[in-house]
Amino acid sequence: MTKKLFAAVPTIVLGALIAIAPQTFAHACQGHDVPGACHYSQQAATGIGIVILLLGVIALFVEAKVRIGLNIAAALNAILLIAVPTVLIGVCSGAMMHCRAVMLPTLIVLGVLTIVFAGIAVWLDSRPAKRS
Amino acid sequence: MLIDMNKLPFENLKRKPLRTTALLAVVVVLSLALFGGSILATNLNTGMASMERRLGADLMVVPQNTAQKAEALLTDGSPTTFYLTKDVADQISQADGVAQATQQTYISSLAAACCDEKLQIIGYDPATDFVIEPWVAEQFDGTLEDGQMLAGANVNVSADGTIELYGRDWPVVAQLASTGTNLDNSVFINQTTVPAMVEASAKVATQVMPEEYAGKAVSSVLINVAEGYTAETVATNIQNLDASFKDLGFVYPGGITATTRTSLNTLVAYLTLFIAVLWVMGAIVLIAVFSTSANERKREFASLRIMGATRGMLNTIILKESAVIGLTGGVLGVAVASLVIFPFSSLIGRQLQLPYLQAGPLLICGMIVLAVASAVVLSVVGSLLTMWRLGRPEAYLTLREGE
Repeated sequence: MTKKLFAAVPTIVLGALIAIAPQTFAHACQGHDVPGACHYSQQAATGIGIVILLLGVIALFVEAKVRIGLNIAAALNAILLIAVPTVLIGVCSGAMMHCRAVMLPTLIVLGVLTIVFAGIAVWLDSRPAKRS
Repeated sequence: MLIDMNKLPFENLKRKPLRTTALLAVVVVLSLALFGGSILATNLNTGMASMERRLGADLMVVPQNTAQKAEALLTDGSPTTFYLTKDVADQISQADGVAQATQQTYISSLAAACCDEKLQIIGYDPATDFVIEPWVAEQFDGTLEDGQMLAGANVNVSADGTIELYGRDWPVVAQLASTGTNLDNSVFINQTTVPAMVEASAKVATQVMPEEYAGKAVSSVLINVAEGYTAETVATNIQNLDASFKDLGFVYPGGITATTRTSLNTLVAYLTLFIAVLWVMGAIVLIAVFSTSANERKREFASLRIMGATRGMLNTIILKESAVIGLTGGVLGVAVASLVIFPFSSLIGRQLQLPYLQAGPLLICGMIVLAVASAVVLSVVGSLLTMWRLGRPEAYLTLREGE
């Protein structure tokens, strides 16, 4: 049960944060007539966050081997999340712009945390069960 | 499973997950506070040193009621436009006690295309300048031609090396090093480009200043005073030049840096005190946890003694356990602090409203080593009492205790 919770709860919480943060406190720059890179990064991050959240919810109802796969998928999604604002789409270049100062670091930190927790969950689930 | 003396400390830690987690948590918090606090203090000091280097004038003369705007422009304010006329500026430059004088013009741009910030445009005179040139020289050794720009570190320069301002692309000849001050959000042009900028602004937006002033607008006269004069004396001399000069604004960059330095020193002092208190408390908690576990483990160690382990071996086990906790906790603390401090560096700088400049990689590596080493040393020191207590009684008596 502990392993299951550890494999699912952090993924659900982090997935929810990744989905919500870019739409709330870590939003893209506002007030532009034409949406820029930061806007598209924001939308992509929300999508990835929902996927991670769903992977966490599914992990609550499946056996250990499947959870390993789900957590590997969550970690890969987190890598994609980091790549979106840094490499694939990007953010505004002005260092003081909100999307660069807040959205980019928030997504990086949440992505790194997702990878770390998914890694620990994979390690826990791949250990042989204790014999009583 | 066969466990030798090398693996025993690790097995001990694994078999007591709650105790290990509690000890780790304390060390993580201490290492996080030490590393995070040191990085913050160092970055603030680096920013302050950079600001002191950049505000290299003794006195700044600005138009009436604009002294506060000018101060904000030097520290953390938003872009602004203000000016007096060149003939007034020339008269100011002739005042008694002026050793060096140079004129600058400040224009605030509008936020242009997507993802562009409002910029501070600073027009300076390369022939007389003594404030910007020494800094510019680090990146650019040519002459700034008419229409060309130098960009501050935070300015968004497009891939083709231009900045779009007022519907026109301006070539950027160099991007300057970060200063941690508002100058990072500025672009620099020479004084003769100012009329062209005003003309461009008139075509796409509200004209930044009336056309007749474009060629003769000067926002500030920066002055270095001659030896034997103080900035205040020169300011009085300037006011005495003409009755209308009484209303001019005088900014003393030395005073600004002194005020900022005071706020910074207060912040760093509180930070140091906080970390020191946290470390003292942490050390007490560690010693308490280690000595409580020593009581619990008397029988365990007595059994080891009976199996032939020497006191030295027992001490090695305790030392290894505490060193592993110190090392792991130290590394985790540094990692968590890094995860917050480095990505959020610009936000921290903005929120602190103090000059904030990231320290160099070598210094950061040094601080990482220091934080981890301190965590290891503290854990080992915390376990010394345990070693001493376990070393005292005879094994047989300890094993028989409570019978």
